Amino acid sequence: MPALVLAQVLKRTALLAVLLALVFVTVELLPGDAADVTSERGESAADLARRRALLGLDRPVPERFWDWMTGLPTGDLGTSARGEKVTDLLSSAFPNTLLLGGIALALTAALSLTLGCWAALRPGGRLDRAVSGTATAVLALPEFVVAVALVLVLSLWTGWLPAVTLTGADGSPASWDMLVLPALALTVPQVGWNTRIVRAALADEARAPHVETAVLDGLPPHRVLTHHVLPGALPTIAAGLATSTGMLLGGAVVVETIFNYPGVGSVLASAVTDRDSPVIAGVTALTGAVITVVLLLADLVRDLVTGGER
Amino acid sequence: MDLTRRQLMWAGGALGATALLAACGGGSDDEPAGSAGGGSEKPRRGGTLRVGALGRAGAVTRDPHGTQSNESDYLVLSLVYDTLTVPGAKPNTEPRLAASWQPSADLRTWKFKIAQGATFHDGSPVTAKDVVFSLKRLRATPSGASRLPGIQAKNITAEGDATVVLVSDYANAELPLLTRLTTFVIPDGTTDKDIAKAPGTGPFKLDWYRSGNARLVRNEKWYGGDVHLDAIEVKIFENPQAMANALLAGQIDLASNVGAIAARTAASRKDVQTVRRPNDMAMPIVMRTAGGPFADPRVREALRLAVDREAMVKQVLSGYGTVANDILGTGDPAYDRSVPQRTRDLARAKKLLSEAGFDTSKTYELRTTEDISGLAESATLFATQVREAGVKVKVVKQESATFWDKTWLKGDLYTTYWGTNDSVVFFASKTMVSSSATNEAGWKSTEFDTAYQKAIGTADEARRAQLLKKLQQIEYEGSGYLLWGMADGIDLAGPKVRGLPTLPGYGRVQLEGAWLTS
Repeated sequence: MPALVLAQVLKRTALLAVLLALVFVTVELLPGDAADVTSERGESAADLARRRALLGLDRPVPERFWDWMTGLPTGDLGTSARGEKVTDLLSSAFPNTLLLGGIALALTAALSLTLGCWAALRPGGRLDRAVSGTATAVLALPEFVVAVALVLVLSLWTGWLPAVTLTGADGSPASWDMLVLPALALTVPQVGWNTRIVRAALADEARAPHVETAVLDGLPPHRVLTHHVLPGALPTIAAGLATSTGMLLGGAVVVETIFNYPGVGSVLASAVTDRDSPVIAGVTALTGAVITVVLLLADLVRDLVTGGER
Repeated sequence: MDLTRRQLMWAGGALGATALLAACGGGSDDEPAGSAGGGSEKPRRGGTLRVGALGRAGAVTRDPHGTQSNESDYLVLSLVYDTLTVPGAKPNTEPRLAASWQPSADLRTWKFKIAQGATFHDGSPVTAKDVVFSLKRLRATPSGASRLPGIQAKNITAEGDATVVLVSDYANAELPLLTRLTTFVIPDGTTDKDIAKAPGTGPFKLDWYRSGNARLVRNEKWYGGDVHLDAIEVKIFENPQAMANALLAGQIDLASNVGAIAARTAASRKDVQTVRRPNDMAMPIVMRTAGGPFADPRVREALRLAVDREAMVKQVLSGYGTVANDILGTGDPAYDRSVPQRTRDLARAKKLLSEAGFDTSKTYELRTTEDISGLAESATLFATQVREAGVKVKVVKQESATFWDKTWLKGDLYTTYWGTNDSVVFFASKTMVSSSATNEAGWKSTEFDTAYQKAIGTADEARRAQLLKKLQQIEYEGSGYLLWGMADGIDLAGPKVRGLPTLPGYGRVQLEGAWLTS
């Protein structure tokens, strides 16, 4: 099994490296470059060439990519087009996004498990139909709509919570209540999605022979659910949550903008407009690493449950 | 700095959220009675002003001579560091670290006298050496040549401890205007590595800076006068609507340059002050004069007559702006208000088009971006309006980098924008003199060039005013610009804020006079 895990890690790391190479190539293919973007109107062609050289953009892409990659093991993520260290740009932004994403993921897991199980206790019942229907409706809501509605209702109208996140001297949100709205905006659509998965996985597992035996043995429904149905459904649920990690990080770009949350989403968005490859690659490497770890964990859960037979 | 091509990028984003919130904000257009801009009250000392300013987290910079596309960074820098001169209303250039200046008879050599008692935040006095070092450092950046045009590094020298001498390659009556925006002074010998730690001379001292956010505290020993606020906290916002929400929720006291849509959202709130700073942003339509379908001056004249300027201001700017007259530099005291205002005349427009043999069967592309709020909307409305004169225009929205790479300076018909309150002469030098690298319409007029050279080389005020009028007349008649209006700069402020700046463009950062009522 450790060998298996190692192989998985290597495979996913290689995948990440390919992804990073793609980042550099894609930015290169986009019209304009970081020198254009950081230049000012009125700069002559010679000024622009000098700027390009200062940023190292006069060198071929493979060379720039290699330089950046060789810095990676030492924790050097390069310099932004405006001369700031990428590690400085991300040093508080990345933990902030992880915190927000982590809270949203935990909330998603707790809520969707509860709702899914609750609905599964009486399949086809009124509660089941209500939960499943609401989940479908909610999962179709974009984060953006949820976020705007939350600000309006919970902040501007009622004044209960801060409308935006302000950053303190340490680079993190100035108070804890600023996390509530962004976390909710991320969680709501994901809960919709995961409740559906939990509910479906439980329904599948409920048809398994060992569950039928348990039911015929006269065990109470909640015991059947927790001891016989849920364990078998876990791999699917874990995979669903792992997929949500990616979507949570993607949704963070939108949610961070609306709530002014100081995370990587806003850094990434501006880096793309600026054609700032080191910054984009830095964000990709870090988020890619997180997603890789989460996917590995989901695989491990699956292997543990199924005894690695798949 | 004044000409940063990507500033205000964020303003184009998140329009959906904005529209939804605006719809919920009520339709009242009346302005809350505010005295944020002036008033005769006696300023109160004390308090912390929390300011939201626009900026993008990935684009932050600490370098006073770097490319500052973030308003938040520029705000922090201009409160901590001083420039030689600062923007003013009338005259448009006012003293700051340079207390006074004097040109030679030929207008090429300018001597700037450093303000008495000016010291850095570490207590050391500001000398001519520091200023020379800073200007040379600015000049050595890739934008140096465009920020200090005509002033070579070797022609920046010190004369004694308190005088700095700038020698221009050519006569330039408006040279001090060039030193208004990015001539931030840092101590002689500051290395690039220590740039973020360099002490400034400004009204506020840096307490901390983190990811675009900063806290600044009063400089008790500022040479420039009384500073009322104890501290200013600058908060970076990527999205103007988030900034407006923060203000409405009371999390900040001032939303700097938040824009017309936010102002409309907030219009029904009596406790929110709207500060309008006229002549803030020009969003002209550029018609290529060097070739293509708009090269005939009659065609350009026809388009200028086909546009409904009032409607543009009303719809594109939500009324937060003024009608313009195709002359750039509307905020300049030298701007000629005696030139008759062009108004819509569809009959004449059609006549001119047919005289010029303009092909009205074809559809012409108008390229635009969403770099700033209202820009793409202006293109769409323009297209609708000129259709009534028989000109078919199709609006093509381009992604920002594509636009600047492919369309800017090259296209036949496109929108541009200038977020400054620069002078008539400055705009002429940048956008219309034939030798300029950023002549957006490819306009070449010997008559204009001659008038320009004469205007910047004339010391006599009255004579110069005449020449500037002539310059504007030529521009009005023939240039490649269709300037339909000027957008106001709009700040929102909480009920206690007083003494806010009302100048357009970079004048918005002058918060040293701001104060809070108790």
